[in-house]
Formats: sequence, C-alpha cells, structure tokens
Amino acid sequence: MSGQAEIRGRLPHRYPMLLVDRVTHVDPGRGLTALKAVTCNEPWYAGLGPDTPEEGFGYPKPLLVESWCQSAGVLATWEEPNPDVLAGRVMLFGGMTGVEFHRTVLPGDVLEHRVRVERRVDDTVMFEGESLVGGETVMTVGRIVMAFRPAEVLRPEAS
Amino acid sequence: MEVLAATRAGAPAPPATPAGPRAAGLLSGAVEVLPPEKEGRTSTRFTVAADEAVLPGHYPGFPIFPGVCLVEYVHLSVLATAPAEEPAPELVAVEATRFTGPVYPGDELAADIDWKPVDGMAWQCRAKIRSGRGDAASVRLRYRRTTDGAGT
Repeated sequence: MSGQAEIRGRLPHRYPMLLVDRVTHVDPGRGLTALKAVTCNEPWYAGLGPDTPEEGFGYPKPLLVESWCQSAGVLATWEEPNPDVLAGRVMLFGGMTGVEFHRTVLPGDVLEHRVRVERRVDDTVMFEGESLVGGETVMTVGRIVMAFRPAEVLRPEAS
Repeated sequence: MEVLAATRAGAPAPPATPAGPRAAGLLSGAVEVLPPEKEGRTSTRFTVAADEAVLPGHYPGFPIFPGVCLVEYVHLSVLATAPAEEPAPELVAVEATRFTGPVYPGDELAADIDWKPVDGMAWQCRAKIRSGRGDAASVRLRYRRTTDGAGT
C-alpha cells in the first residue's frame, strides 16, 4: 500500500485537483489499483443551493475520468517518478475512447480505480480498466492515451 | 463559489434543467451561448479565467486548464443548448476525445457542437474546441435522452 507521500512524489497535481488518495496494489509496468474517497467538502459542491436534488450531488463525470487518469499516471511513473511539470519528461493526456458511465457516484463513495497497461509504443502508453464503488462498476475505460514529452512542449510560447 | 449558478446566469436563455444550477460542476466561469449558424449545430464561448477553481492544483506555479475541463465545457454547452422541450439529457459516455493543444488561463475558447440523434433514444454530440492558438480538442459525447425520443 502507498499513501500520499508516494503519490505526491509522482504526480504534480495538488488541491483541489489531486484526486488519488491511496494506492492499494501495484504491478509495475502492468497494473495498479488505487482509491479515491469522494467527499462533499470538495469545491465542486460548494456553490450548490439548498434545493439541490440528490442527483445534483453526483460527482462530476469528467473528474471521475481525471481521478482514474491520475491513477494511471502513478502507474506510468512508478519506476521513474517526476512530479515536476517544468522539468524533465512530463505526462500529457492525449485522449480517450470508450469511457462509459454506469451509475452516479455520490459523496461518501470510495472509488476503486483499476488500471491496466494495454500497450506501450515508444513514449506513448495506452491504458484500460474500470472504476468500482462497493464492488459495482461505475465507469469502464476503453482506452486512455498518455504521452511522455519534454516539459518544454507545455510552455505557451512553444505551442 | 457560484459555480453553475454563474454559468447559467451568464448563458442567454438557458433551459431550466435539473442538471443545471443544482448540480456539482468543475467550472467557475460562464458558458456563453452563441446564435446557431446551421441546423443541428450549436455554438458556445468560454473564457478561462485566472481564478478558475481547478487551476491552483493543476499545476502549482504553472496553471494549465485540464483536459477534463474541456470535456466539462462541452458538457455544459450541451446542457445549455439542449432542446428546451425535453428534460436535460444524461451524459452516458465519452465516446472519443483528443486533446490537440494546451489551454492556459486567459484563453478564449469557442466550441461548435454537432448533434446527431441515435435511435431516438440518445444524442451523439461532436464538439470541436478552438483557442486563439488553434485547435484545442475534439470531444465526442453520448447522452441518453430522458423522454420517449419523440421528434427524431
């Protein structure tokens, strides 16, 4: 099991966008399982009014994807961590296909992200997997593409 | 943080939907609906403000607008321009997305969304997002329609 020290040593993301709480299993280069607890104290819930229906508290689906992708990022950088987006090689989110949402995720739910390396081609890694809550699949991920590039590509003047 | 209240208030004549101001969302800024230019296409604008809630953590000292926020921008654009006579469509899948250029605070984004009904029960929404530097993303989302699908 790995906690925040190891996660923060691999991901540059921080509050409110650090969306991995704990890594429970790693098979380096192949697969990883991570947990993310959803809480109503996240900023996405701060502006909701008193008449918000229960479904309005659904965790924003793009953040489910982000949380899963960050878990993939921990796996991808497990053996060569670089939490600095300004130096070295950085991980870019290239795209995704076939991401399906099966049920609403609510505050109090603990997401279990299961990430598997599908393929690796040069500096590009493709992942697949799913997210579960209490054993029930809430999201399936057909493919997510991460590319490793020199940090300079992220600077505004370079694009 | 007046997240979606601000978003909805800023959009001209947004439909009143249960997924609107009373739902959690990522973006602080307002999605602005533009006049439609052709049948089956809707268009919006969004400016990435320096105080967007996600930016302090993505990344500290080097803010980049996250790719998933571009997906959220398309999603909010879909909700803001969905047929007013139907309940809000429900996002069921990200069919495909490509992130083709980084987006930074201060960038003005524009999105064109092409709507295609699928079997009367779903919408496929294909969006192109551009910034001042060129293409930023293409996003294809699928929505479940929560009516009987009449009119398709």
